[in-house]
Amino acid sequence: MREILSIHVGQCGNQIADRFWRLVLREHGLTESGTPKAGANIAANANMEVFFHKVREGKYIPRAVLVDLEPGVIARIEGGDMAQLFDESSIVRKIPGAANNWARGYNVEGERIIDQIMNVIDAAVEKTKSLQGFLLTHSIGGGSGSGLGSLILERLRQAYPKKKIFTFSVAPSPVISDSAVEPYNAILTLQRILDNADAAVLLDNEALFRIAKAKLNRSPNYMDLNHIIALIMSSVTASLRFPGKLNTDLGEFVTNLVPFPGNHFLTASFAPMRGPGQEGQVRINFPDVARETFSQDNFTAAIDWQNGVYLSACALFRGDVKAKEVEENMAAIRKTLNFASYVPTGVKLGVADTAPEGFASSGLALVNHTGIAAVFERLIVNFDIMFDNHAYTHWYENAGVSRDMMATARNTIANLAKSYRDAS
Amino acid sequence: MDATLERQIATASRSVEEARRLAYHDPSRIGGLVEQISVLADLRQKEGDFRKAESLYREALFRAQESRKNDADLLTGIYSLLAHLYDRWGRMDQAAEFYEKALHISEDSGLGETEKVATIKNNLAMIFKQLREHDKAERYYLEALETFQKLDGEQSARVASVYNNLGVLYYAKLDVDRAQDMHERALTIRQSFNEGQMDPADLSQTFINLAAVYKASGDFQKAEASIDRAKRLRASVNGFHPNPRRSASLLVDKNV
Repeated sequence: MREILSIHVGQCGNQIADRFWRLVLREHGLTESGTPKAGANIAANANMEVFFHKVREGKYIPRAVLVDLEPGVIARIEGGDMAQLFDESSIVRKIPGAANNWARGYNVEGERIIDQIMNVIDAAVEKTKSLQGFLLTHSIGGGSGSGLGSLILERLRQAYPKKKIFTFSVAPSPVISDSAVEPYNAILTLQRILDNADAAVLLDNEALFRIAKAKLNRSPNYMDLNHIIALIMSSVTASLRFPGKLNTDLGEFVTNLVPFPGNHFLTASFAPMRGPGQEGQVRINFPDVARETFSQDNFTAAIDWQNGVYLSACALFRGDVKAKEVEENMAAIRKTLNFASYVPTGVKLGVADTAPEGFASSGLALVNHTGIAAVFERLIVNFDIMFDNHAYTHWYENAGVSRDMMATARNTIANLAKSYRDAS
Repeated sequence: MDATLERQIATASRSVEEARRLAYHDPSRIGGLVEQISVLADLRQKEGDFRKAESLYREALFRAQESRKNDADLLTGIYSLLAHLYDRWGRMDQAAEFYEKALHISEDSGLGETEKVATIKNNLAMIFKQLREHDKAERYYLEALETFQKLDGEQSARVASVYNNLGVLYYAKLDVDRAQDMHERALTIRQSFNEGQMDPADLSQTFINLAAVYKASGDFQKAEASIDRAKRLRASVNGFHPNPRRSASLLVDKNV
């Protein structure tokens, strides 16, 4: 058993949880309350134990911990059709919220709740036989997901130094902004992701919005965006849950994708992109799926493709695909990808038999590209404008985060950006 | 790991989970949750998993602060359990900090001269001794001694324990005369107990401590005689300690 524990933090993290668990339930033939669907053949193929804890015959509970400092999103999940799904002992809610302030999530509110969260995580880990690692979903621009998420990452790394920690981190978009202090929150969080996670998939809402809009032919909503994230998360773990010709687990992803310590910030692409609720299988030929998977405008973060190179890439195809087809098409695509001169131009491949529900086949790319420096540089520019004018920093100082701490985080991420640029 | 302990931990974990579910819907059940968490934390400490024990005690503390703000007895208890944990963990500064917090709360709420407060003072004094803050240590020992004398009278096990601890403190300060005085007082009390009350391990410790004091003052014959007595007592209990230490109970110091 290689179980994975998912930790969803903050409003955004839990909205992702909502989409993600719906998708996983369907992939495993379970109803919204965690019982097998009539006629579904459970045991046969799927390794349910990765994501679910079986409590008794016919009842599965997600290995998930839901955490929020505001009751809203979790209350909606509990009031909806998944009301019976999650174990109430693994939901941690506390008011009041972090007020968009990283320092409140990390220090003030965080300090009072982190032990409860760790106790709940410890209890969930004790229900596993051989835990592979953690998936953390959060946004890095807000207060709870960023500040409390950072604190959870630190404590998780201390408590489980050898387990893999994968984050799915929604970054502030370059254009649309929810709040003025997003750059502060994001930079402070990125420093903790750098220090404590094994890999982070950066997603920005603007890129997701652009992808969704192009593919859905209508104006997308947050549900659509979170659905894309859910599809990516589901595919990253597909090899663990479904049999396939080429198995790829979290550890293998990390080994292949991270050439230098700390350069573990990834971006992802899922194909073929469709919205939730578009029922019925769409059959697309494999070359199209493969091409779309590696198409630059299909990636979920605003990467500087022009001034960067690939450090590494992984691709995982699911469903009705033939190994030979994969080899041939990927050989062609590989030639079009601009790899750094010092890394062999290999793309780590995985193939799993079961496609996400509603798809005949699908592709996932996880790549480490030096152009991700652009994401950090943009945040630093916005950080500096405010920081140099002492704007908003008093909120952080009042909650125990000094300007020195903020400056240290800023410089750490500036060095990270530089290390990516130097690697080009 | 010890199979019994493992079973106890599994049971306690399930109880905590169940209490969490209850408290999730009904905040008035948080008291029950705090209780279950403390049970599990004690077991974690026994198991030697200090990190998990710390998280559990701290959760209990914050939960209790939210729901039972005025229950000074409960809060004092959790603070001193945490302090005891930090003590065992070797994190002396934190141990002192949490014992002091426990003291503040109990003193603010008028629990002044109770057994609990005296115990905390004794244990806090031991921490200060280790932190080499001897004056603070002495002050707290003397306060604890006074309370125990009032509560139990002079001829009591707890008074003897504090005399013993004071003796160890004076010995550490190289004040051999006062150390000898304290240990001899402890000896007088401990020897006066009848068989049922007497703790051979404590008595033998007193002989060892006295031997150290005699040796320091150059009286080697007395030192040797004391060691002999201690050895005989130790042999009679066969290494078995009838009174294993309980969490946050009165701690007893030894001359090193």
